[in-house]
Amino acid sequence: MGKKKSALLLVLYTLLIALLCFICTVSFNYGTDGLYRFSSILEITQKDADLGGVSGANEAYLGGGYSAVYYPEGVISAKEYENDLAGISDEADRAEYENRYRAYADGTLYLEVDVACDEDGTVLESFSAAFDVAVETISARYEGMHVDGARVSVRDGYTIEVFLPEMMDSEYYTVSNFALTGELSMTFGTSEDEATEVFRVRRGETIADYVSSVSAQSSGGTHYVAIRFTDDGTSAISSATSGASSDTTNYLYIYVGDTAVISLTVSEALTNSVLYVSGSYTAESARTTALLLDSAISGSESDLSFTAEDAYQIPASYGSDALMWLYISFAIAFVAMMVFFFVRYGLLAFTHLYTYLLFTACTILCVWAIPFLYLSTEVYIAFLITSLLLSASNAMTFEAARREYALGKTFASSVKTGYKKSLWKIFDVHIVVALFGFIMYFIALPGLQAAAFVLGLTAVFSGLGALLFNRFAWAIMAALSKKQGAFCKFKREEAEDE
Amino acid sequence: MNKRSRLFPVWIALSAVIIIAGIVLFALFGFNTAMDRTESKTVDVSYNVVVELSEENKQFLQDTSEAAFSANGISYDEKLELEGQADPSGSSQSSFYPNGNVFTVRYIFDGSVSSEALSASVADIEEAVDAATFADGAEIYVSSHTLALEGQSEALWRAAVGVAVGAVVALIYIGIRFGVGCALTGLAAAVNDILLTLAFFAITRVPVYAFAPWLYAAIAAVASLAFWLVRCMKLRENAKDPALSALSAEEAVGEVCKTTDKTVFALSGIALVILAVCAACMSVGGAAVLFAGALVPVAAAAYSSMLLAPALHVRVKSAFDKQKAKRARYHSKKRAVRGE
Repeated sequence: MGKKKSALLLVLYTLLIALLCFICTVSFNYGTDGLYRFSSILEITQKDADLGGVSGANEAYLGGGYSAVYYPEGVISAKEYENDLAGISDEADRAEYENRYRAYADGTLYLEVDVACDEDGTVLESFSAAFDVAVETISARYEGMHVDGARVSVRDGYTIEVFLPEMMDSEYYTVSNFALTGELSMTFGTSEDEATEVFRVRRGETIADYVSSVSAQSSGGTHYVAIRFTDDGTSAISSATSGASSDTTNYLYIYVGDTAVISLTVSEALTNSVLYVSGSYTAESARTTALLLDSAISGSESDLSFTAEDAYQIPASYGSDALMWLYISFAIAFVAMMVFFFVRYGLLAFTHLYTYLLFTACTILCVWAIPFLYLSTEVYIAFLITSLLLSASNAMTFEAARREYALGKTFASSVKTGYKKSLWKIFDVHIVVALFGFIMYFIALPGLQAAAFVLGLTAVFSGLGALLFNRFAWAIMAALSKKQGAFCKFKREEAEDE
Repeated sequence: MNKRSRLFPVWIALSAVIIIAGIVLFALFGFNTAMDRTESKTVDVSYNVVVELSEENKQFLQDTSEAAFSANGISYDEKLELEGQADPSGSSQSSFYPNGNVFTVRYIFDGSVSSEALSASVADIEEAVDAATFADGAEIYVSSHTLALEGQSEALWRAAVGVAVGAVVALIYIGIRFGVGCALTGLAAAVNDILLTLAFFAITRVPVYAFAPWLYAAIAAVASLAFWLVRCMKLRENAKDPALSALSAEEAVGEVCKTTDKTVFALSGIALVILAVCAACMSVGGAAVLFAGALVPVAAAAYSSMLLAPALHVRVKSAFDKQKAKRARYHSKKRAVRGE
């Protein structure tokens, strides 16, 4: 390669890497009084519930999550009890209100007499059993969301605290919908008041005899909820909607307990065994709705109803400085790596630096751009593993070329032979790591899933970096040097005089 | 190599003892998932901000609370400042938004902290709040809660299956590229490293997040595969060398170890140092524990790759070589018979 061509390519390559590094890592305020902010890719990348930080001009918090408490019917917080009591001025009403509730769990909760407890304040067995069923149902819904960090806790014995990470698109929708309990039902008519039951569930039957399952699906970027009917369900809905036409506006209402979750305009009879409900669903909201409806198939009229209250934004669980220290740990590892390469290989370390920066920038861009990826410590560990892989691969190639050069080969021939000898070794190790990562991604659930995908993806980047981009950088950099051996700190083996 | 190979029963016994003890303790107690706070208690000090509290008053609330905890002989694990959000009661909204009124300072305690001490602390805080003068309309509310986390099993068993299937498929590739013998030794080493890692956490009862053992198992599998691949590559390279191809199994593996020990040692050393740096940087808290725990799988992989796997491969290779020689003898006999 000619020197001019190499110089031009080097300038272009340097500019590309500088631009990528700038976009990925540098954030700053600009405009009058720093009104606007340029946010780096790293700053706007989603963080999991364990990591978090302030992002953007409006100082929005990325990371952490939201919690809320589900209060079952017949259970109120001590705060609500005291507020209600303070609002009652009439002594008789006050006494009546006081008589309606009994303190529970050191006065943290108040249970309604005959709904949740008896006159002595002992929790009713029926209430306790219904609460256990509700905990199981709600836990299964949150687990079914397959969201990293989602958790459900029983608080004070008879309320449920739920938590979802901030990185979700519709955590509010999920928390509010998953509070709904009761049996799945459908009505059809010209208005909600006029609508009549679609499935006339007979004695000994349940809604499961009419609706077999509900799932979320997507096709061509559209997300929808698929409701599958049994044969009886198909004929029932077909018969109920037989009068539907485009001349009159008819609605199909889908209920969970007493709440209409979906209302559909129906202009023709629904005769298929699967009803696809689309609309403005995102992947998350479709999954939430499907999980809610599916769990409501096994719901019953006696299920407890819940009210979601006491919502809070919860900061990152690793603490407010964790993200900064994560970056500092990376900086230390990066500096140590580069010191090793510069000491051992001289200016050749620049080729590794360019490859490594390109690898890092591509990883950051992918973690930001791929919807199911986010920044977490697990993802960072996966990135560290492949960083080590890339560094070891480059070092192995440099060493192979160094050995060839020492034997007396020309510089070009040494590099060529070095790569030839290392090619399959680098290929094998990268393929093995990528295979492991991608297979784990398909089986595991978040957050190992995200880390596994990043492991597989960065193994591919590392392989390409070591075999392609590093060689390219080496070629254009070495071409500019007069003493190519010295550029790489390569030395000839000294021949011993006999 | 001779020494390493001779001590093979010792390596096997060492691994077996640790793994069996780990399995027994796991069956009895499981992992110590205290980092997930399966049982915890909280004290919430909430105040409305319709009437803005001065910074001094906010600080007073925190000082009063912390003094009450000290007076009752309890200490909190974590303090969070929480911003109240609108109650999630509508379905038209997708994301939470601040209600702008309620702020809470939440103190999180271990589940073993006495409820009586907590109640006494709440009473002390309430008493101090009642005695203090705040802005008109300011409402301060103190409450304590007990939380019990519900377990999520699907994520854990799927992670375990993911690690196992990922490792097996990667080893099938190794089998295709380097031979069944290498794959079998690699499989044994990977399984050993995964189980050793899990056993370590089951035996020591070091507090971990529920997902962490499976993350460590994945790291053990990747490290084990990578270290074993270094040996496999050299084995194949030597097999092509006429001067080395005639060596016995023990000599061949010894030769490979001599030339690759440094690489494996350097790789595992660097990985350990990087993880130690990360753990040190995170200083305290969950992330530091997570990184520190990751030292175990790398150390386990280094152990098996330096000691167990080469010693095992001497036996595996020797068995495969014998089979190969037998097959070669059979074929040459057959050819000789045909020639007659």
